[in-house]
Amino acid sequence: MIDLFSLGLSHGLLLLAAWRLLSRKDLDSDPAPEEPGNSTGA
Amino acid sequence: MRDLGLIAFLFGLLALGLRRPFLFVLAYAYVDIVSPQRLCYYLLNSLPVSLICFVLALGGWLIVDVRRGLRIAPRQWIMILLLAWAYFTTTNADFPVEAAGKWGWVWKALVFAIFLPLTLRTKLRIEALVLYMVLCAASIIITGGIKTALSGGGYGALNLMIDSNTGLYEGSTISAVAIAIIPVILWLARFGTIFPPDWRVRTFAIALCFACLLIPIGTEARTGLICILALGMLTLRATKKRALYLTLIGIAGLVALPLLPSSFSNRMNTIEGYQSDSSASTRLAVWAWTWDYVQHHPLGGGFEAYRQNRIAINLSEKQDTGGADMISASVQTDKGRAYHSAYFEILGEQGFPGFFLWLLLHATGLIAMASGPEPVLIAVTARVFPSIPLTVLLL
Repeated sequence: MIDLFSLGLSHGLLLLAAWRLLSRKDLDSDPAPEEPGNSTGA
Repeated sequence: MRDLGLIAFLFGLLALGLRRPFLFVLAYAYVDIVSPQRLCYYLLNSLPVSLICFVLALGGWLIVDVRRGLRIAPRQWIMILLLAWAYFTTTNADFPVEAAGKWGWVWKALVFAIFLPLTLRTKLRIEALVLYMVLCAASIIITGGIKTALSGGGYGALNLMIDSNTGLYEGSTISAVAIAIIPVILWLARFGTIFPPDWRVRTFAIALCFACLLIPIGTEARTGLICILALGMLTLRATKKRALYLTLIGIAGLVALPLLPSSFSNRMNTIEGYQSDSSASTRLAVWAWTWDYVQHHPLGGGFEAYRQNRIAINLSEKQDTGGADMISASVQTDKGRAYHSAYFEILGEQGFPGFFLWLLLHATGLIAMASGPEPVLIAVTARVFPSIPLTVLLL
């Protein structure tokens, strides 16, 4: 029971992470650096 | 049920990899850490899943990444040299059959280690791999943490899903890994972009850190205690409010000590009285043997060279017989004892050339980390680390 919970939770999160990576454009190439002076803040 | 879930997960992940081939690299990392083929009783245990994932990862890299240029870093060259050197010592090994057995998995691990940096081209890929490594380790740590909280565990007694002392399923290894990833978990919870910080991420991260701290208690591996102390000292170095930090550590220790099982305290006490501990004395004797061996065989004895050792161990034990201390001395002999130390293992098996290549690999890594192009990492670490004593306190 504990094993199933642990495997289920971790594998669920692993799959969700993979799913979220599908739509990320910056996975295969880093975005161009930001314009100077365009601060991202704290 | 468990088997079907693991099979569905792996094939699902590989299917997603068809859209983004970098996911094949993550799949390989998953297979390497979790070993689903050993958790399964059918299909996965009869397929070479590791090989399949490697071939797919290599194919994905050839299709997507190789056209963007190939740059081999100095540390990859060191690993290539180490691989070539290990091949040379294997062909000249003292125990050719046994050495070939170990070479069979060493070369695969080294080839993947050489290949992996080629795929880590973007920040997001590095984050994704780190997240995968943490979540894969979490699959073992969560179950170990809950079982320890419920029943206390014991040395060699904590059930980590499979009855096998290999990879992360070995008590001392999982203890060291569990403690080492605590700062990484906290970093991901604070700066992750795949799971951006919110209350759910923070709750999971704190719960996982609890489970990580419970692992050395559950496995009663002495390595874990040493790792906790090392983490504490590194944290002290990074934190600004040292007085507050030390106070929190002190309170956490006072709260935690009475709650630890007595078998844990007894085992940790053996770190101090190593002379009466045959485990520790055997190691010292094996290390002395190894040092002596490489004086005559500076090029190493190849994998599994320890099999030829013959050692005599001097044990002395102090006994309190009401008033007078009695010291009983005994000599034990042993043979074919393993190294119990990565440093002596590589020295005995790969000789001085292999040992220096390996040290160079680690030293250049540490230097690159401390003086890298992104000093921001140090600032980030300083901000993340102070939350560690709080986690200990909550435990």
